[in-house]
Amino acid sequence: MPFTLGRPLRQLRLQLHESFVRWALRVRVPEPAPVVLSQRRVYVLPTRAGVAYVMVLVVILLGAINYNLNLGYALVFLLVGLGVVTILHTFRNLVQLSLRPGRAESVFAGEPAHFDLTLENPRKELRSSIRLFIADEDPIEVDIPALASSTATLSQPTQQRGWLAMPRITIETTWPLGLIRAWAYAAPDLRCLVYPAPAASAPPLPWSDDSAHGSTRDGSGRDDFSGLRNHQITDPPRHIAWKAVARQSDGPLLTKLFSGAAAQRIWLDWQLLPPDLGVEQRLAVLAHWMLDAEAAGLAWGLRLPGQRLDPGSGPTQLAQGLRALALYGTA
Amino acid sequence: MARRDRPVSQRQAWWLLAAALGAFLPLTPHLPLWLALGSGSVMLLRGWITYRQWHLPPRWLLALLVIAGTAAVGFEYRTVFGRVPGVALLGIFIALKLLELRAARDALAVVLLCYFLVLAQFMFTQTIATALVAILTIVLTTATLAAAADDRPAPQLLLRRSGLMLAQALPFMVLLFILFPRVQGPLWGLPQDRITATTGLSDSMAPGSIAELSQSDAIAFRVKFSGPVPAQSQLYWRGPVMSRFDGRNWRATRSMGTQSTPPYPLTGASVDYELTLEPHGKPWLFALEHPDAVPANSQFSDDLQLLSREVVRNRTRYSLRSYPDTQLLFKDTATNLREALALPRDGNPRIRAAAAEWKTRHGDDATAIVAAAEDFFGRQLLAYTLTPPMVLDDVIDGFLFETKRGFCEHFASAFAFSLRAAGVPARVVTGYQGGELNAVDGYLVIRQYDAHAWTEAWLPERGWVRIDPTAISAPRRIADHFVAAVPAGEALPFLARANMSWLRDLRNRFDAVANGWNQWVLGYTPQRQREFLQSLGLEAPDWQQMTAVLAVLSGAVLLVLTAWILYQRKQIDPVRRAWLNFTRRLAKRGVQWHDWEGPQDFARRASLALPTHAASIQAITESYSRLRYAPQATPADLSHLKNQIRQFHP
Amino acid sequence: MQQLIDSAAPSSPAVSRLSPHEQLAAVINAAQRVILGKERAIRMALACVLARGHLLIEDLPGVGKTTLAHVIARLLGLDFQRVQFTSDMLPADIIGVSVFDRDSASFRFHPGPIFTQVMLADEINRATPKTQSALLEAMEERQVTTEGETRRLPEPFFVIATQNPSHQIGTFPLPESQLDRFLLRIELGYPDPAAERELLAGIDRREMIKTLPASLSPPQLMSLQQAARAVHVAPALIDYVQSLAAYTRAAPDWQAGLSPRAAIALLAVARAWALLEHRDHVLPEDVQAVLPGVIGHRLRPADDDSRKVGADVTAARLIEAVPLP
Repeated sequence: MPFTLGRPLRQLRLQLHESFVRWALRVRVPEPAPVVLSQRRVYVLPTRAGVAYVMVLVVILLGAINYNLNLGYALVFLLVGLGVVTILHTFRNLVQLSLRPGRAESVFAGEPAHFDLTLENPRKELRSSIRLFIADEDPIEVDIPALASSTATLSQPTQQRGWLAMPRITIETTWPLGLIRAWAYAAPDLRCLVYPAPAASAPPLPWSDDSAHGSTRDGSGRDDFSGLRNHQITDPPRHIAWKAVARQSDGPLLTKLFSGAAAQRIWLDWQLLPPDLGVEQRLAVLAHWMLDAEAAGLAWGLRLPGQRLDPGSGPTQLAQGLRALALYGTA
Repeated sequence: MARRDRPVSQRQAWWLLAAALGAFLPLTPHLPLWLALGSGSVMLLRGWITYRQWHLPPRWLLALLVIAGTAAVGFEYRTVFGRVPGVALLGIFIALKLLELRAARDALAVVLLCYFLVLAQFMFTQTIATALVAILTIVLTTATLAAAADDRPAPQLLLRRSGLMLAQALPFMVLLFILFPRVQGPLWGLPQDRITATTGLSDSMAPGSIAELSQSDAIAFRVKFSGPVPAQSQLYWRGPVMSRFDGRNWRATRSMGTQSTPPYPLTGASVDYELTLEPHGKPWLFALEHPDAVPANSQFSDDLQLLSREVVRNRTRYSLRSYPDTQLLFKDTATNLREALALPRDGNPRIRAAAAEWKTRHGDDATAIVAAAEDFFGRQLLAYTLTPPMVLDDVIDGFLFETKRGFCEHFASAFAFSLRAAGVPARVVTGYQGGELNAVDGYLVIRQYDAHAWTEAWLPERGWVRIDPTAISAPRRIADHFVAAVPAGEALPFLARANMSWLRDLRNRFDAVANGWNQWVLGYTPQRQREFLQSLGLEAPDWQQMTAVLAVLSGAVLLVLTAWILYQRKQIDPVRRAWLNFTRRLAKRGVQWHDWEGPQDFARRASLALPTHAASIQAITESYSRLRYAPQATPADLSHLKNQIRQFHP
Repeated sequence: MQQLIDSAAPSSPAVSRLSPHEQLAAVINAAQRVILGKERAIRMALACVLARGHLLIEDLPGVGKTTLAHVIARLLGLDFQRVQFTSDMLPADIIGVSVFDRDSASFRFHPGPIFTQVMLADEINRATPKTQSALLEAMEERQVTTEGETRRLPEPFFVIATQNPSHQIGTFPLPESQLDRFLLRIELGYPDPAAERELLAGIDRREMIKTLPASLSPPQLMSLQQAARAVHVAPALIDYVQSLAAYTRAAPDWQAGLSPRAAIALLAVARAWALLEHRDHVLPEDVQAVLPGVIGHRLRPADDDSRKVGADVTAARLIEAVPLP
């Protein structure tokens, strides 16, 4: 019986909650930055602890009446006042807080997307224990020092490639006494580019197409080794001359220098893939190839139907390639 | 939610332990020793567990301890219900709850229990000291509540925040206290176990019982006269009337009120006063002789005692008008008169013989017999002393003929006996005589050592006449103070000693404060509330009106607090404030300053928009830029800028 | 004292008695006579010199990058070397080589073109990364180390590099970490029609440069650089620069925010700009004026769609997002 009744009730509750949130937010979504939690959008209700507190106050009041204890009255009235004051303090802890969308690094589908929010406190007092969360995710708690800002990173699992807009978030606090909960909803303008998840296994890199562009694979290595110099932190680790380092046991790390102008070029082409592969599978394989090519230090280019990315390498090239894959077909 | 199951940290455990101790310690004097020690050691154990970070005892053990504790309380008090057993149980529960701090909700339970223990404390005592201790407990408990929510801040910070929030709560407390519609308790049953006063007059009087009271400087009641205070010798506060004598003890027989209006005619001048009676656990009220009406909920018994319908359990305040010159002249019942003649069959032969002699000489002339008795008492050279010698048999004869030393009850008892033996109806009246005026607040304070006993005799043509035999031998007792009448060297109550005047002065001040507390805080009853609100101009304060006023005032307080709390204390740099002032003036003319715009860019734009003011705009901007961005600006520069802006009227 | 030093300065031109502002005004006027309609670019370049930074000019070939570099060098009375970068260039071609000298039976160092006061590195993105980094390391440290020997570069030392817009075939665009070594990056753009007509009608610019007299001496330049460093920066202005940097770090518009080094660069250029504006203190306007040049090569838009927008637009967006403190 409770099960058959409980489910529709829960449904109804969820629906009511959803429509309340929509009403409460009642702003253009996403909101332009910065999102300031104005008085009108901060809501306040007692927590369960607050309800328990009120019940204890009622009992104390009854005791005071029954035994004609005037100090009992004073006690209960003081605690009533404390209850009122804590509403203000909790409200104040949240109100006028401003949120600025920060970064959302691109991720591969399946990885959690991380949304950075900068919380700015324009007040000269610390704001303590502000919790932020996305729907059913675990809340994260931050303190924001006086006249300063803190960054909160909210995570959301991803499934699909493409743009993932930051979901509506709830910002709440029960500080200082835990009796009152003040909360607000916000939908900051922040989106995360979700790359297609690289295929778990993929065919080897498509070398065969290379010849068409005037460069052949050189079995002995792609660059001419031209010398060694001291390693700098910005040098790619794959250029570290491990053998040379091993020879001189306590010397500094050395970096292999290569001469030779052109890195080898490789084209990652949509058309090369077997025709029976679906769109997502193709994108997954291309993503896999891109990571492989980048790891191998190749200059690679990308061909998608209607799009072309000239060969190159490095983080910018990778970002551009993956971005093309992520947004493929989404216009 | 998950947070409610969050475990209690070590720091929080310390906080909770401190709060529990703070709430429990003030209660220990009112609890059985085994309980105080038991709960106390459980708390110590909890401290040790916290310190060593041990595991908490299993639930079943706690359940067993709860059952055992409840049984022990039941055994101690024969019940687990009622006030004191209830408080005792709370004392056990809070200690055991400390051993069950697993989640946030357990912490909340402890905090709420602490608040409740403060109330429990008030059931025993409500003095100023109690209130001060309670405030400390509440601050500590509230800080603990804050620590239960967030234990990171330093203790002193949490305590300060808790104090601040409670200070902000004070206006609400005051408003609610004054305006919350009061209900006269009790709401359920009668709290049977209400603690009774320990000292005070009783309904019987044995030799030595009032002398014992004379050692107590506890306050019996306070009186505020609306006019001048009558002479000391007129201040007879009438209490229990004793008509039945068994050879040693006098007893009051009337415990029922029968009439609401006095049977006697009123004569002479009237005295208006308000009397605040300390609870004494007995039904009688005290009044200056003789009132013209009864206080609410009380009646005259037929021997003219003022009896309340209920035992005086709370501090009670009533206003009366008395006529000190009134004579109790009315037709008393034959039963009463017969009772006022009854004597034990034998004993005290010598005074009986003396009385028989007066009777033979004066016959039925009661007035003459009384005069003879007074004369006899005067001639016996009786001494007034706090330490009369013990007499075992024939106490009246022993006092009058052998020891000749006694306190007021000896005099009253002997005088009433001798009148009865001579055939004149007589009885002993107890009460208080005199009082001490506290110059600080103008209250007359009547303490237990002012307890007194005197005699009333029935004279057919004058009714019941007060005769104070103590006054015959020790007139200063009545005219001045009992201390004056007591021989030097006798043990006196601390405050009654004459050489302690500075201390008494101090005591007076303290007492005035305590009295104010009693009158206005503890004595703020539904009736007082009504009177007070009427005096403030609310004509017929009913609960609707009070609620309305309360709502309005609370709203106002809330508004002020909200403004105060939400007010953004932006300490704008004065230079910037001047600049903002300037940009506001220009905004009125449609030249809006963007908050990112540099001053000179803005000045250029503004000058183009308002060419007639270009010169002053440029000058002001120049001053501002120099002040804000150039080195070595002086206060004179600032006032110059302010001047410029003041004179700028675009 | 100042006068004493000025008069003692060698080859002091006629402007020696002028105030710093007048000296700078003279330089700007002279430059404008050669480079038409590019006052802003000239001022930025000068600010860069005053702030002791290196300048990157990014634009299409033929809009006068080389001319600007050359004019600056001439007017400041500095030695000038021009190096055209190519893909077959080696680090030694810039820094110099040690050659075995038979007479002394030892190696002798032949200094490369970098040993000069103004070096124009033309089309720096045509060189291989190895050569680029050799140059940039020398720029950063103002010294050159070869074969275990460290040689200081002349003082003042100032590199003007030009770069064609990337995505041309056969180029190696400078990575961001290297770009940061340039204090300012400016774009020249096409001249406006009037200036272009005058350019076409006038005499050859290269000829003009040859006859251009120096407006400043190296000691004067160095004392001007000193003066730029002494320009007052109020706390409110430091707050402003910090807010700007903080905003770029938090905002989603860029892939990474400005580094503290970039913020220091911004302040340094703003000081120089204030000096050019004849002021002894920096105003927010100075910061805003130089902002495009400072952030253009340091901030990469997060959204590739906005890649095409120029540094001016990016800077304007940043300026309008950050209120003055």
